Amino acid sequence: MVLDISKSINKVDNFEKITGTAKYIDDIKPEGCLYAKTLRATISRGRIVSRKYPDMPEGYAIVDYQDISGQNIVKIIFDDMPVFVEETVNYFGEPILLVVGEDKATIMSLMHQISIQYETEEPVYDYVDSKIHKSYIKGQGEAVFDKAYKIIEHTYETGYQEHVYIEPQGVIALYEPDKISLIGSIQCPYYVKNALMSVLDCNEDEVRVEQATTGGAFGGKEEFPSLIACQVVVAAKKMKKPIKLIYGREEDMAYTTKRHPAKIKIEAAISKEHEILGLRTHVGLDGGAYIGLSGVVLLRAMIAATGAYTIDNLCVSGDVYITNTVPTGAFRGFGAPQMIFAVEMMIHHIAKELKEDAYKLRMKYLAKTGDVTSTSGHFIEPIIMENMIQKAMLMSDYEAKIKKYSHDNMNKGIGMSWFLHGCGFTGSGEQVHIKAIVRLKKDESNRVHILVASTDMGQGIKTTFRKLVAHKLNIPMEQVIFENPDTDKVPDSGPTVASRTMMIVGGLLAKAADQLKQQWKDQEEVMVEERYKQPEHIRWDDETLQGDAYPAYSWGINVVEVEVDPVTFEVTLLGVWSVYDVGKAIDEQVILGQADGGLLQGISYGMLEVMKNKDGRIQQKTVTDYIIPTAKDTVFMETELMDNPYALGPYGAKGAGELTLIGGAPAVALAIENAIGKHVTQIPVVPEYIMELMKNG
Amino acid sequence: MVNTHYPTSYEEALELLNIYKPTIVAGGTDLMVRKRAWSDLPTNFDRDVLFVGQLEELNYIDRQGSNIHIGAGVTLEDIMDHFHTPALLSEAIKIMASPAIRHSATLAGNVVNASPAGDTLPVLYVLDSVIVLESVEGIRHVPINAFITGPGKTIINDNEMIKEIILSGHKFNHKVYRKVGGRKADAISKLSVCLIMDTKKGMIQNFRAAFGAVGPTVVRDLAIESKLIGKSLDWLDENIEEIGKWYEPIIKPIDDQRSSASYRKACTINLLTDFIKHIKHHA
Repeated sequence: MVLDISKSINKVDNFEKITGTAKYIDDIKPEGCLYAKTLRATISRGRIVSRKYPDMPEGYAIVDYQDISGQNIVKIIFDDMPVFVEETVNYFGEPILLVVGEDKATIMSLMHQISIQYETEEPVYDYVDSKIHKSYIKGQGEAVFDKAYKIIEHTYETGYQEHVYIEPQGVIALYEPDKISLIGSIQCPYYVKNALMSVLDCNEDEVRVEQATTGGAFGGKEEFPSLIACQVVVAAKKMKKPIKLIYGREEDMAYTTKRHPAKIKIEAAISKEHEILGLRTHVGLDGGAYIGLSGVVLLRAMIAATGAYTIDNLCVSGDVYITNTVPTGAFRGFGAPQMIFAVEMMIHHIAKELKEDAYKLRMKYLAKTGDVTSTSGHFIEPIIMENMIQKAMLMSDYEAKIKKYSHDNMNKGIGMSWFLHGCGFTGSGEQVHIKAIVRLKKDESNRVHILVASTDMGQGIKTTFRKLVAHKLNIPMEQVIFENPDTDKVPDSGPTVASRTMMIVGGLLAKAADQLKQQWKDQEEVMVEERYKQPEHIRWDDETLQGDAYPAYSWGINVVEVEVDPVTFEVTLLGVWSVYDVGKAIDEQVILGQADGGLLQGISYGMLEVMKNKDGRIQQKTVTDYIIPTAKDTVFMETELMDNPYALGPYGAKGAGELTLIGGAPAVALAIENAIGKHVTQIPVVPEYIMELMKNG
Repeated sequence: MVNTHYPTSYEEALELLNIYKPTIVAGGTDLMVRKRAWSDLPTNFDRDVLFVGQLEELNYIDRQGSNIHIGAGVTLEDIMDHFHTPALLSEAIKIMASPAIRHSATLAGNVVNASPAGDTLPVLYVLDSVIVLESVEGIRHVPINAFITGPGKTIINDNEMIKEIILSGHKFNHKVYRKVGGRKADAISKLSVCLIMDTKKGMIQNFRAAFGAVGPTVVRDLAIESKLIGKSLDWLDENIEEIGKWYEPIIKPIDDQRSSASYRKACTINLLTDFIKHIKHHA
């Protein structure tokens, strides 16, 4: 037993991960398993006019839309994506069918014998076809623009980001006459289960979903696995055999979801006294070929429209545009990284254009406890940003460096980002859509089983949930059991997304543990249950987008120092410092792991990771061409965690997983801007772009 | 049906090579990636495979007079640390790929792979390297610029293999190797340069410049190089921009998924002029 919950312990899965004994999805080899390979569309937009299938040998089959007993739709949030193309093709690489069988070489040869004829149509790659439009206002909205002394306008652009989880997508379907089971590298077992019930048109007890040990996800295994899970269960039902579908890296990078590229236009109404009267912001997201959960991503981006600042008057709108490209989807941060980049650059650009000191301007608008949020809710919990900013500036020697680098032409720069992240589902999501349920079961030998649908994908909840429950019950951790979730055994505690796992699900577990303590009967089985109830003071209107968008917020500061090579424009990191308020760390090392990984992912989103479409085809589809950082690209990262317990979180914990990514891109972009003395308006800030800025800007 | 051959001597390797005309694998770090297949399936080799990485007879680095001879089987990691290895080559290898790849990959492999972005190639061009090819019929010596004819293309015959690479052990007054990649390790070059100059009493005695990833092969322009020889450093100082312009016609990069033609070109010329600018400082 440890006294302070934050004190680090070894992660419980260290041994199996380090020794290589952990069983990932491709390590699972069911008896008589057939393999599946996906045949994909070779046009970006059009219709299939004919299909020629070869004669199939015994034991081999083509599985396509005709084999689907239920709906040919992947049930996600907005149900518009087919499981298999029936006639209409909307992006290059869209799955048309699976070839299944025992021998991979035979499958490959059959794949080559299939012929699909298309009628092509003109594809759309620009932001023209809006399928979702949302807007909200705060205060007087855009009326303040009428009395503005000056209007400052900038457009910011962000690119794709690919998850590059260590383990590619993979699922296995197991067949029994009255039940089909799905095992997968997944984040959200119940999302998958709901999708399977829809595609098979079956009852709840006819499908079961189990998570395999998952080698990374970053949001990439939130909704995408539902697509391939639907495909393999249809195949399993047809073949009455287990079916395994594992993507290779190239297939995974070219045809699975990525972070939404965004164009964000911000106009600031400025008074004669250089006050920011209000902002008019429009965010456009490239949703790819299908909407899926893009509407929710858009909402999170729009709500982050003022970042860590309080601006009294806002007019915020956004659109999800459909293009004939691979669908975009969930990725750590979920719309916030795009918007926080834009907001942080904008406030600096306003300062520059007004010839005001950026730090002073930022401090003037920094959000404080009790302030009205962008959606006219309130920051109820204490905000300790001022203290955090002081700490970060001290750690990084920010003040002296920014002064020096702004005046001397020495190719060095420093940037500091301030940001927040709303914890849990946006708006009334937790209350209306998720309705989380958790259970704790104490068995006769006094072992306590954690029954939740939350998945450990590397972020460490196998450790932190067990630690939390053991701590609450004052029993050894070995006595607390937490298996990979199986929908036949665990209730729906919601998806493992949105920085909600520790705060919401962990919060419910802490309450359940308190309940169990009350009802504890030695050597008797006891089951307790907790259900999510929205705190009374949290109000949200889905129609007007007004109210408290999140029950709580985590906050962060990132400082990045860089050197830009004056000859090649390559950027080298010199220092990285962070301060985070995640309420209370349930395990310090786990949070520091999130901090290092998340921030590096954020910084490389801002300066390295280029992914582009050419004629609807992803150009960077190998880890050779898609540049994520190596150990040599980073430096030691100094991180400080604040203690600022949130009353409704377990031991005061708030969300942490996404927060650490969000400030990386603006911090590094600001550092580069400081080094080169030009306006940076897009990420990633690669040497090619810096060269253009030096030439033209 | 593809067979694999695992000779125990160099002589046996040459005989097998003559009979089967196989694909030769030393470290395999390029080939195994290129020939990859769906997991569990054999690699997609279309010819027999001859493994040569195990042949001790090819694992040597010797100095003969002013030349260094590097056997085809020596791994990059071993070359990098060897006391005979020219500093420019060590520098190029040090920032190449990753330790795991360097422990398996060979210099001969980098040469015969003939990628315009091959990391060691600009150094080998500047060091006037000679590729020694051998078959059962005999040995021939081919300068590297004649050996490589295009992206992935060489003049090697299908019964020949590289025995060794000979390079100049000359020590230059001024030298630089720069690779520009998307990240600091495990990167394919966007561009690379290798530049050397010898000066004596304020006069240029020797100048060579090789550029990678800016054309179908690594490029050097002997005519420009000879124009510089005999010129004074004062002249050099005044003609930096001009020399950059001379090189522009042979720097013909393309746009691809790793960078843009305009960046590659500008950056290559920048590195060249930056090198020249610093000469007088250090002369």
